[in-house]
Amino acid sequence: MWHGEGVTVADVLGALGDIRYRFARAEAGDSEHLHPRNCVMTLIGIAPTEAHEVVAKRTTQAIGMQHPAQAIVIREEAPIRRRHLDAWITTDVRRPEMACAVECELITLHVRGKAADHLGALLDPLLVSGVPTYLWWLGTPPFGKRELLDALRVSDGLVVDSAQFDEPYRTFRRMASMLKVAHHRMGLADLQWSRLRPWRESIAQFFTPGDRRAFLGGISELGVDYAGDGRGNRIAASLITGWIASALGWKLRRATAGAGGVVAAMYQAGGRSVEVNFRSVPQNDRVPGEVSAVRIAGAAGGTTFRLSVMHDPPRPRDTSGSSYEWDRRRGDTERVLLTLIEIGGGEPLRHLQQLEPEDEAALLVELLSTGTHDEVYNRSLAAASDLVESI
Amino acid sequence: MKVEEAPNPLAEGLHDYRVADPAVMVIFGATGDLSGRKLLPALYNLARQRSLPAGFAVLGAAMSDLTDDAFRKMASEKIHQFSRTQPIDERVLAPLLDLLFYVKVDFSQQDEFRKLGRKLQELDDARHTTGNRIFYCATPPQTYSLIAQQLMAAGLHAGKGFHRIVVEKPFGTDLQSARELTQTLQKAFPEDAVFRIDHYLGKETVQNILAFRFANSIFEPVWNANLIDSVQITIAEEIGIENRGRYYDTAGALRDIVQNHGLQLVTLTAMEPPLAFEAGAVRDEKVKVLRSIRPLIGEDIEQSTVRGQHTSGWVLGQQVVGYREEKDVAPDSQTETFAALRLFVDNWRWAGVPFYIRAGKRMPKRVTEIRIQFKRPPHLTFGREAMKEVDPNAITLRIQPEEGISLKFGAKVPSAGLRIRSVTMDFQYVTSFLVEAPEAYERLLLDCMIGDPTLFTRADEVEAAWMLIDPIENKWRSGRPPLAMYPAGTWGPDEATQLLKADGREWHRP
Repeated sequence: MWHGEGVTVADVLGALGDIRYRFARAEAGDSEHLHPRNCVMTLIGIAPTEAHEVVAKRTTQAIGMQHPAQAIVIREEAPIRRRHLDAWITTDVRRPEMACAVECELITLHVRGKAADHLGALLDPLLVSGVPTYLWWLGTPPFGKRELLDALRVSDGLVVDSAQFDEPYRTFRRMASMLKVAHHRMGLADLQWSRLRPWRESIAQFFTPGDRRAFLGGISELGVDYAGDGRGNRIAASLITGWIASALGWKLRRATAGAGGVVAAMYQAGGRSVEVNFRSVPQNDRVPGEVSAVRIAGAAGGTTFRLSVMHDPPRPRDTSGSSYEWDRRRGDTERVLLTLIEIGGGEPLRHLQQLEPEDEAALLVELLSTGTHDEVYNRSLAAASDLVESI
Repeated sequence: MKVEEAPNPLAEGLHDYRVADPAVMVIFGATGDLSGRKLLPALYNLARQRSLPAGFAVLGAAMSDLTDDAFRKMASEKIHQFSRTQPIDERVLAPLLDLLFYVKVDFSQQDEFRKLGRKLQELDDARHTTGNRIFYCATPPQTYSLIAQQLMAAGLHAGKGFHRIVVEKPFGTDLQSARELTQTLQKAFPEDAVFRIDHYLGKETVQNILAFRFANSIFEPVWNANLIDSVQITIAEEIGIENRGRYYDTAGALRDIVQNHGLQLVTLTAMEPPLAFEAGAVRDEKVKVLRSIRPLIGEDIEQSTVRGQHTSGWVLGQQVVGYREEKDVAPDSQTETFAALRLFVDNWRWAGVPFYIRAGKRMPKRVTEIRIQFKRPPHLTFGREAMKEVDPNAITLRIQPEEGISLKFGAKVPSAGLRIRSVTMDFQYVTSFLVEAPEAYERLLLDCMIGDPTLFTRADEVEAAWMLIDPIENKWRSGRPPLAMYPAGTWGPDEATQLLKADGREWHRP
């Protein structure tokens, strides 16, 4: 590990170069050429708090143990000392069975003063050339503010978690607005969207067989159950609705929110109406805002259908208590998604799927393996934002 | 005419989301080795990836008299033993086992296929599979025809929904038997419903040959006879015949490896860019390559092929017996455990470029690679002395075990003088991607369920390959060229070295 207080970016770069050369030399031995350095991406984690810094480091290290990446974790500190930059460099070496050893580097920077407003200039020299750079902003990104825009200047994609926003209602709308003005190269990815992937898969799967495709045009009801009841807890439910609405060309006509977290909306789908209902369910063992069931029903060609996707059994919550708000999703491994299919009469068909744990590292790997440019998310976000604004 | 369905708009943006229509997969030979080692573990891993559609079911069919529960127990044991992902997630396994059913079927008994039909109907009704059926022959090749005939006689080969049959290589033992098998299968199933599995094509790195060639603009312009000197394909195994003596002694390296894997690699290396990565276009281009290969006949066979058999020796530090001392192998066996060929693809792109293929058992290590050897520069700008340590450029596509690609080129040695040395630029799969590669059977089973035959072998491809191999096989059976012996743990007989030396070349050491 290397550590320097009151250093410059040039000092950090010098130390990095030295670490890389020593690693390559040691791995090559005396008689071999130096092995080429592998790097999949630069992942920058912006950590507003100490708790976020812990999460960012733990996550980037977990990713690094599987994929050679350079990780930079930046923490902004109050300018109580004159030094504006303290830096740490740690490395993890992985030795795959059938390939050269690879090194994952974690650079931690504590930034104070005005340098924190100019993250682009701070980061640019540290980036690995030729591989994508992803900016993961933990907590609530300052949408519309200079420091975010400056950091985005050197990034190919921004990763956020809309489930972790403070003031989720307002922040979500600001995020949707930002996407409208972002430069075309910039991708936006949301860990909450990744959490919804199994739900989207199960719903899409139902409509995949050719003989069920006509059902898409016959949907008359969509219901979403979510945990908690404030309007900030309806983000995931709105994203699911926005996804279906934008994919199927539904237009929002009206939406109202009632007592107890109930939402009723009406969409126009061609010449017919689709009724959308959100229902708040007790939190119990769930994270606020989490989707717990999606129901779709309708009829086409004289055949009725009903698709229900739900958590089953209800997920046990880790009640051991965590010192960080961030950790509220930990211990969440007993995840089963139950799909019930009813076509015409007869017994419903049950289909059980086990979901993987939702830790940040797994979600980030899944999300970043395909990049952060996701037109479907962008469209779903825009449609969800319209719905959120209406209620 | 087949009408293309509009894509499911809800599937858009779900990367790697490939979901089939619900179907019942009948596994003939469900209690056998292939089912236990490969198919059931692959299904488990597909379930783990949430790739099995709601309603999907497996109906095991074999001679043993088992209950559903006994089959599930057996499946559970095999999955625990052979799955590539460990430890087994019981929460994934339990719902998968609920989708497994079993029916005893004696392939020679027509009545038992009717019983199979009744069971399929029950599952269709209960699981909304709408008559979709996949018949997987995980049985010895000699049963494929019988199973197809019985399915047809019982009326299970057609009707509502799709009906596909899957057979494993070898597809015949020569051109005639391959044609007979095709005819039998096609009597019951149309060609686009016959899925011939050569699991080699399901490997990510084999598919990456196409990605490397056709997703990059810098390689195709140099991928021809103007700049390429030769192509070497090595398929080496350190293992012996592993208790397969009875089969192997009637097959040999030429039929077992070169006829399928070896020629597959030639076609993927030499083919023209297909219009799209879809079944018709890719397989058309592969067949064109096979038809462009200059057939070896008569004297050519003695000059352009080497057949070898390993004697005892040392492999990976272990002493091993010679081939003729293996179980179920004749003590005077003339079967080759090593084959080397020099082929020419007679078309505009490859005129005059030799393709050297070697495949063998009990070689120093397990390795499969394609080496594209480029010509030397036309002029030595830096002089002969500076260039003496420089080999011509080469691109090596490593299929296994260190899947990746390396480019060899000359670079200046840091010093006051001017000396050039060869260096390599390496790409390794394992260190460059954020996702794990699936096992070949997972990819191929899913393709079959979806109905995508791109990575399966078409009848004309099988026949074109046998048309090249049959004359060589016949000549070899007559003892020409003579069988060359090589010690286990070496790269084959001296005759293989001479095959290249005569052309002023040498084998690359993998």
